[in-house]
Amino acid sequence: MNVGLNIAAAGMLAEQVRQDQLSNDLANASTPGYKPQTAVQSSFGALLLANTATGQQIGSIQTGTDISKVVTDTTPAAMQQTGQPLDFAIAGTGFFAVKTPEGVRYTRDGQFSSSAQGTLVDANGDPVLGQNGSPIQVGAKGTVPASALGVFNLTGAQEQGNNLFTGTTAGRGTGSVEQGALEGSGVNAIQTMTEMIASLQDYQSGQQAIQSISQTLQLSSTDVGAVP
Amino acid sequence: MIPGLYAASSGMEAQQQQLNAISNDLANDSTPGYQSTIVGFQDLLYDTGGATSGSPVTTGTGAAASIIGRSQTQGSIEQTGQPLDVAIEGDGYLEVRRPDGTIGLTRNGTLQVDSRGQITTDLGMALQPPITLPKGVAPSAVTIGSNGTVSVGTRKLGKIALVTVPAPNGLLSDGDSLFSATAASGATRPATGATLQQGALESSNVDVSQAMVTMIDAEESYNLASKALQYQQQMGQIANQLKSS
Repeated sequence: MNVGLNIAAAGMLAEQVRQDQLSNDLANASTPGYKPQTAVQSSFGALLLANTATGQQIGSIQTGTDISKVVTDTTPAAMQQTGQPLDFAIAGTGFFAVKTPEGVRYTRDGQFSSSAQGTLVDANGDPVLGQNGSPIQVGAKGTVPASALGVFNLTGAQEQGNNLFTGTTAGRGTGSVEQGALEGSGVNAIQTMTEMIASLQDYQSGQQAIQSISQTLQLSSTDVGAVP
Repeated sequence: MIPGLYAASSGMEAQQQQLNAISNDLANDSTPGYQSTIVGFQDLLYDTGGATSGSPVTTGTGAAASIIGRSQTQGSIEQTGQPLDVAIEGDGYLEVRRPDGTIGLTRNGTLQVDSRGQITTDLGMALQPPITLPKGVAPSAVTIGSNGTVSVGTRKLGKIALVTVPAPNGLLSDGDSLFSATAASGATRPATGATLQQGALESSNVDVSQAMVTMIDAEESYNLASKALQYQQQMGQIANQLKSS
């Protein structure tokens, strides 16, 4: 077994996950209330090397890296005025709650509309909940007061797709609801592109390392034992 | 399969739909009663992506765009002086009967009189309930009140009914400025807050400058997603060259 080969390969696999996650961020550059993800790398356990003849310890060697978790950055993003009466944004922290068939989910995307029954629903047609957990009725003029919407404090927010999150709620969020506006995507295009470039370079470095090790192995198998 | 490749291409596709919607809005900038399209974006499912040794890590699979509905913002009222032009102020639609007998809703109030004296839209669809001008009455003699009452002199001919639905975003757009009520929009009911103005048309509510800004934004985002696609492709090339000669 060659430790170096595995270290380089592990690094390349980690960069692949990072690129996938950065691609998803860029694809969601226009998704209201989208929260970008950050891939956290951590190192594998270290190996202790010892001299096989004397047993003397030489020192430890790291055995590579992997993505241990992906963290969602829930920092509020910039708000965009839309003028639509049923668009809402939360200034500050907190999430809207919607009642999906799978249970209550949370979102920062306040692009709501009225259902045929006159309740406030999200883009998937699921009812939006007030602070007391009950659905909200759209008024006769097609509007809903901003105060009717519940703002929930969410910890451990995890993306579920369809702009929804799961997590644990703990009381009311500190943010205030604004009408006629949407929270933009939290993706910072420049930062994401920079990370992509850096990640690609790291990926290429991993490939170069594998090629070098491969050449060394080839030399040791063909030249060391060769009869001159 | 490379998940990031598909995530990036889904992002491009979503922006393409946004661009299509804006193009249609801008093309209809001069269509009376046209309501601009509202496009919504969503992220897609989160998958356990890539090969990792530790706990599974989820990565997103891209984005999707969908048309949420139409902007209900009031368009500006433009005087045309045509006696059979009507502009709707407030939340409401004219009801017309299509050639196939079904009911359509429209905010385009460019009305005319057909050969039988019936008041129709510019595409020849009769108002519902129908209103017929007596023989020999010129359209210029017709008065249309703000509540929709159509009269000639003191003689009442009928009333233009204005209707609305509980969820306008659920209306099905059929083209030709027509909408159909669906289960998602709910059944039509009389519009209470809407009035008619004779001799005027409601302009489209497309905000051209806002549309241009959104278009630039969509183009930039399209570009970014295409860059992500290129990077994914480059990663594939690098992986393919792992074993050199």
